[in-house]
Amino acid sequence: MRVIKEILNNTFIVEHRDSSFLATKSRYPPFYGEKKIGDYREWKAYRSKLAAVILNGYTPSIKKDAVMLYLGVASGTTASHLSDILDSGIIYAVEYSATPFKKFLELAEERENIIPLLEDASKPENYSGIVEPVDFIYQDISQKNQIEIFSTNADLFLRDGGEGIIMVKARSIDSTSEPSEVFNFVLSELEKFFDILKHGGLEPFHKDHIFVHVRK
Amino acid sequence: MSEINNCYNTWFGEVCLEDGLKVFRSKNLKESFQSCKNWKLPFSVKDAGMIAFGSESEYYRNLRRTALQVAEERVRKELQSDERYLISLLKALDEIDLGINLFSEKIRDIEETRESSLTEKFNQIVSDLKTFRKDLENEINSHAERIIPNVSSIAGGVIAARLLEKAGSLKKLASMPASTIQIIGAEKSLFKAISRMKKGKKAKTPKHGIIFQHPYIRGLPKKKRGKMARFMAAKLAIAARIDFYGGELNEELVEIVRKKYGELQER
Repeated sequence: MRVIKEILNNTFIVEHRDSSFLATKSRYPPFYGEKKIGDYREWKAYRSKLAAVILNGYTPSIKKDAVMLYLGVASGTTASHLSDILDSGIIYAVEYSATPFKKFLELAEERENIIPLLEDASKPENYSGIVEPVDFIYQDISQKNQIEIFSTNADLFLRDGGEGIIMVKARSIDSTSEPSEVFNFVLSELEKFFDILKHGGLEPFHKDHIFVHVRK
Repeated sequence: MSEINNCYNTWFGEVCLEDGLKVFRSKNLKESFQSCKNWKLPFSVKDAGMIAFGSESEYYRNLRRTALQVAEERVRKELQSDERYLISLLKALDEIDLGINLFSEKIRDIEETRESSLTEKFNQIVSDLKTFRKDLENEINSHAERIIPNVSSIAGGVIAARLLEKAGSLKKLASMPASTIQIIGAEKSLFKAISRMKKGKKAKTPKHGIIFQHPYIRGLPKKKRGKMARFMAAKLAIAARIDFYGGELNEELVEIVRKKYGELQER
């Protein structure tokens, strides 16, 4: 096994037995059925949208000591890798649904940089006395009003100049319109409050999805 | 919210703004953690917390410990009550349907015999019930979406809730084979058919139980319904397992069920 390229803190493209893959360096065991070779945990793009963004050629700069608010952490697939990357940072992880959160708590128990919050992201006032001002908001919640939810959370917690990544699934915003129309609508909504640094698709890993990288 | 005296609730106690930050640390962190509703704070919670805990590492150690304790308790409580809540909503829906039918019938009986000002009132009650029924159905849909997102994306909230009710729990539903899910709700006719077969007679097993109510099955000609029911049940079995093991919504499952329906419709 050898490292081909460093992408972010603790994040590498590694080669093993003639195949190369994205991985994060981790002292923890595999969490969602990914393989681990040496210290390197494979970061699967079909499971994690952020991995798909990176493999499609765009790497948002995420600093290792960043304070992050993660909305819609679900069972923690992506969060497990972010926890590797932010090894001197902290992740406030919000999820509304108890079922996936149960699995996520196994991760939160072992990782010291994760603060788990079983809360509704559309009611940020409920956790305003818990979450400190953050450098980054990562949102993956596939809800109709997810842009509004992102904006209110950014208003409450994102420091000026802070950045965010929003994963948008066309179908969850409007299942009857064409995905491209939905994406245009989303971008124009976000433009009102943020600078858009980059956006793009997640094909072939996730169908009819885009990511948007913004700055406050 | 206690912003009146320039004081704010944080997870570790009250913080007041008077010539700098004044911190009143709570005696019960678990309690204050769960009652710290504010709008935007004019200071950083962490800065105030460092005053209370002395150092960054102590701050995060306490925060993490409290958050974990609270989260574990909430998860345990919610998972216990979630399924039961959904099932009781569904039962209420069924009762209300019965009520609406019964009342409408009575109204007709009264109207046929005599003109009465009472029927007006009675009609109002029924129409209120119908409105309430709609609210109830919405609540069932949104709750089912939350606790069994995959099953309800394929079957719709009400049918998903009914499958859950008949199975008894999500755990049981997740461990059922697709063939069982296919005929949930048609047990009587299944066992009748089986007992006939045992006697050596000819019999047909039912093609569908509860899932017959789904427009994708009901909407097809009779001959194709069995095929669709089999296919949908297979996907529902997968969906139930994803939901039980805490997976996220998988759009692909709905997509292929939709596709199958399209194919069967055309042929």
